[in-house]
Amino acid sequence: MADVDDAFRPPGEPWVAVSEQLITARRISLALTWIVVVAGVVALYLFATVPRTIAIAATIVAVIAFVWLWILIGRRVRSWGYAEREDDVLVTSGLLFRRLVVVPYGRMQLVDLKAGPLDRALGITTLQLHTAAATTDASIPGLTPDIAAGLRDRLAALGEQRSAGL
Amino acid sequence: MTDLTAAGSRTLPQRTHPISPIARALTALPGIAVGAIALGASIGSKIGAVVPLAIAAVVGLLVLIAATGYLSWTRLTYWFDDDGDLRIDSGVVTRQERRLQLSRLQTVDIVRPFVVRLFGLSEVRIEVAGDGESRAILQYLTEADADALRTDLLTRAAAHHADTTAPREAIDSIGEEHLIATVPNGRLAISLLLRGATVGLVLLTVLVIAVTVLQAGPAALIVVLITGGFPLLSLVGEYVKYHDFTIAESRDGLRLRHGLTQTQSQTVPPGRVQAIELMSPLLWHRRNWVRVNLNIAGVGVTTDSNGQSVVESVLVPVAPRDEALRIVARVLPGVDLDAIELTGVPETARWRAPFQWRRLAAGNDDHVFITRRGWLTHRLAVIPHARTQSVRVQQGPWEKRLGLASMHVDSTRGPVTIAAYLRPAAQAREMAEQQAVRAEIARRSDG
Repeated sequence: MADVDDAFRPPGEPWVAVSEQLITARRISLALTWIVVVAGVVALYLFATVPRTIAIAATIVAVIAFVWLWILIGRRVRSWGYAEREDDVLVTSGLLFRRLVVVPYGRMQLVDLKAGPLDRALGITTLQLHTAAATTDASIPGLTPDIAAGLRDRLAALGEQRSAGL
Repeated sequence: MTDLTAAGSRTLPQRTHPISPIARALTALPGIAVGAIALGASIGSKIGAVVPLAIAAVVGLLVLIAATGYLSWTRLTYWFDDDGDLRIDSGVVTRQERRLQLSRLQTVDIVRPFVVRLFGLSEVRIEVAGDGESRAILQYLTEADADALRTDLLTRAAAHHADTTAPREAIDSIGEEHLIATVPNGRLAISLLLRGATVGLVLLTVLVIAVTVLQAGPAALIVVLITGGFPLLSLVGEYVKYHDFTIAESRDGLRLRHGLTQTQSQTVPPGRVQAIELMSPLLWHRRNWVRVNLNIAGVGVTTDSNGQSVVESVLVPVAPRDEALRIVARVLPGVDLDAIELTGVPETARWRAPFQWRRLAAGNDDHVFITRRGWLTHRLAVIPHARTQSVRVQQGPWEKRLGLASMHVDSTRGPVTIAAYLRPAAQAREMAEQQAVRAEIARRSDG
């Protein structure tokens, strides 16, 4: 198991974790979606035609799912990381579906920052790297604005400097 | 960029051919006719004048289209500016001024739609690298003018980056070309019939016909003609598109020409090829036929007003493997695909891909990274190290249980995907790491 994990987060690289604020952001979104779920479960109790056992079962499922997702969010956010190396930047993420992306500086075409209202309230930003390939999809969420801006400027400068056309 | 050669000087604004508005109106004729007949049939039948009304509608619409076409014709000019870039000013109500940077020129295609060909005219399609509005279409020029414009564009573009294009064997002058391969129409027809999808569609069609006839009697065959015709229609469409396929080598790259009703001519500059795939559906294996697909920077995904792909991403629709490899060698010089050693995947991969796992393999040499996959349809994907955009390692829960992971090399948009599936996780990561290094080295020596 250890060497499998090493494959996605090789030791010896200068890994940087993302902000724990991202956990808060994602948990808030989770809680917001759960308002709908709770409403649905409550409705089950209100309708006399629904057997009580089903309503209770739904409650249990909803509670377990909530707790499980709550914990999972923490682990998932901690699985994000990036490492700036000499020639490229590494981005790793995921628990169930793991991925590691290697983007050479010379291939970066665009570095985007974006933050939704919740992100802004919590002071985090998502950084997105673009290459000429649509499949690259390397984004780093949960960066504090100053780190994100610094990283973007560094990456953009390196991209410019190493740019090799197509 | 400011290297002004004799070819890079400014020219006077020019117009497209004066017959263009009429030719353009006539290309819309089939659509107009259908609409007019419908109109004539619905309204005309009430007032008892079907034919006159339909004719009046057709003529009226044609005149209208030609008139607006004439207006835009008077407002469209193109010329080369001081920097040697192509400028196109157009638009009646909204003026549009476009500048196509020839240093980023990708392809210049000459297309001759059927109606336009009757007037001896051609359409010139110019594509530059970049997102969004990266394509300009000039409708229409005489064939001689179109050829001259293309030569001019390619010469100017070549002057821009004479140093970056790969050294190529001496080919005397621009416009001169020699044929290196043709696809016989008989082979093309057979290859299309032997595609798995086609066989499936034909079986489905037969089934539909049988069921309909049993259910509703022979009268239902009319419905079948329409619905069951679709699969065959797509087949015919592809045949018409790749009819008389020829590949010629010119100074600017491989020139592909094909088409029955509409002759397309497309140039594939070797430096723009991002990735290549040899694809062979099940029923082609015995004949050892392959199709060669391409990812070309910036093209292959654009569509014209009819929703058709303007620049195809097919290098050869069907060819014997040996011949296909010879053609591939023209765009990837110095690469011998069969000499590259492939390594397969461990037997545990069968739990994730029970049929495909024996075919899964990957390998590399000094120039390219290649992957093999596909059980029924064999696919061999090739990407030059210097064209690697990014590298990924991915793993789902099931793969994790098996200790396997997939390694992907990202290329630009197009039909070719480069993926080394189901390698041992540590190996996949090692491959990714090595590929990143190879890409970096290749890029440095390339630039």
